[in-house]
Amino acid sequence: MIRLSQERAKTLLAIHGWSAVFLGLLLYAVILTGVASVFATEIGDWSSPLPARVEDPFPPGTDGMIRGLAETVDPAFHEELFFFPRAGNRLYAFFHAHETGEDGTPRERGVAAEFDPSSGAMIKRVEGTGDDIEAQDDANALAHFMVDLHVRLHLPHPWGLLLTGVLGLAMLVAAVTGFVVHRHLIRELFTLRRRGDRLLTARDTHVIAGTWNLPFAFVLAFTGSYFSFGSAFGIPAMAMVAFGGDQERMIETVIGNPPATDETPAVMGDLDAMIADARERSGAQVGFVQVQHWGRADALVTMFMDYREGKLLGPNYVYGGANGGFRYTKPSLGLTDSTGSALFSLMSPLHFGNFAGVFSKAVWFALGFAGAYVSITGLLLWTTRRQAQRGWRHLAAATHAVGYGLPLGLVLAAWAYFGGRALGFDVNTAMMSTFLMTLAASCAVAWRVEALATARRGLLGATGLALIALPVLRMTSGGPGWADAFGTGLQTLVAFDIVVVLGGLFCLWTLRRVPQPATAPLAADDELDEAART
Amino acid sequence: MSSERRRLWSRVALAGPVVFVCAALVMCGGALWLPKGPAQIDNVVLPIVLFPAIWAGLFFYACLDRRLGRAWGVVSALALAHAALIAAHLLQPGAFA
Repeated sequence: MIRLSQERAKTLLAIHGWSAVFLGLLLYAVILTGVASVFATEIGDWSSPLPARVEDPFPPGTDGMIRGLAETVDPAFHEELFFFPRAGNRLYAFFHAHETGEDGTPRERGVAAEFDPSSGAMIKRVEGTGDDIEAQDDANALAHFMVDLHVRLHLPHPWGLLLTGVLGLAMLVAAVTGFVVHRHLIRELFTLRRRGDRLLTARDTHVIAGTWNLPFAFVLAFTGSYFSFGSAFGIPAMAMVAFGGDQERMIETVIGNPPATDETPAVMGDLDAMIADARERSGAQVGFVQVQHWGRADALVTMFMDYREGKLLGPNYVYGGANGGFRYTKPSLGLTDSTGSALFSLMSPLHFGNFAGVFSKAVWFALGFAGAYVSITGLLLWTTRRQAQRGWRHLAAATHAVGYGLPLGLVLAAWAYFGGRALGFDVNTAMMSTFLMTLAASCAVAWRVEALATARRGLLGATGLALIALPVLRMTSGGPGWADAFGTGLQTLVAFDIVVVLGGLFCLWTLRRVPQPATAPLAADDELDEAART
Repeated sequence: MSSERRRLWSRVALAGPVVFVCAALVMCGGALWLPKGPAQIDNVVLPIVLFPAIWAGLFFYACLDRRLGRAWGVVSALALAHAALIAAHLLQPGAFA
């Protein structure tokens, strides 16, 4: 039990409640889309599979694919190359140069291509800035829609990142104050009163989910606000102070690979051999490859390896690009181990939960789902207690509109993706317009329907039905059916379909619950207040 | 406006925008006084990675210090010290050589 003076406990309780009231709905949106984004890779694989399963996105022959592309690319874009697996294990390669955009932020311009690693065939080739290329990336569009909503709520740079950064800080505050105001932490981990007052049961469920989730919420909030503020404002501000505003130079310095010294043209070493060597050294798979100065004597190839079993971090290997020889192992940042690099490297696995494959992702999904549940039930408890007052009735309606309308919007955006792709529409426009229209319709339902419980049933029921029908739409819009999927080794597609249908059935199952009474007793929140007084 | 209400708004202003600006200044200024570490990058990387912790520490201090004037004083002094450090660095000839 944490001992606090009555005055301080009250202050913390007020901060906990009001930070949730002001930012709770947006926070819920960020958490819920974050839950979906945990499986962004799997969503990409499911929505846009290649005709047959690709076991290895970097097979022997990768060198030929990349070399062939390099020959067709303007040498100005040989400044840097990335290649890594994307939806369906397509091999995505992006030759580019760095430039400064109209808004003064650094950006990349170049040529991107997607390959089918099984056949080595180029599937698609696009030119333009990084944003232009991303806008034409239909294969990853559904996953990207979810991730972009999570990362910046689809708002322009840097405002979206700044907003999600503030939301991350609000979640950090809610986690810390939640830890302190729930004074009987151990007891509350196991207290669920099922008999009697339904609101009290709802309050107990909120507290149990929130209490178990506190450490995870803290980690997610911390890492999330770091990611948002780091790129939106931390790097530019730090570059201004320490590097005279030169962000490129700051990134070069921090990453640690020495800058160019020799522009003499040189034939690149064998990438296949480098990939094989990196796999042998690490016992891990290659995750991402960066090549600096393709076709020059000072070319460097950096292999970022996936996580090894039992490790939170993967190693990075640097090779001389011109001769393919191994140069050195390096941490994520700098050329030798440091506290800064270790902390920086921990941020990704802790936020994305991708360090132990599907198992850790499932845990992150479940904990994230609990976080979304806590944020929305917290708001429902707060507004239910006050819904007799006119102003709070609007927040209650908004909570229902967003709480139940957002999942429906996300599922219908997936509908728009499959439908738009089959009909030849721009999938990004189709998803965004469907999503916004669904949110608008949800608001109309929540504000117009007399009883909010009816709005809840309608929106949740629609979400359940839309989820159940989604695999059918995927198949009828050109995706492989189950028989084809089994035949081509795409069993994960079937598994994902089943998970989607189970999600829909879960939504329908929750409808059996009788909604809370319209004029609820005040016991639940009073008890929370009592916690602060005792 | 009652004095109670004035104090509330003063604390909201301190814990909100003022603490945020102070945390940003501490982050940027940290690059100038933190040790660089073995890889010569800790002074740049650590303040960015730890920005949420800097902000949270200042936020809870600003909310919980019973003496509001002292809280204003501490946060302002921290912000001004770092602002002065940054200004001195930026005005130094050849600062980014």
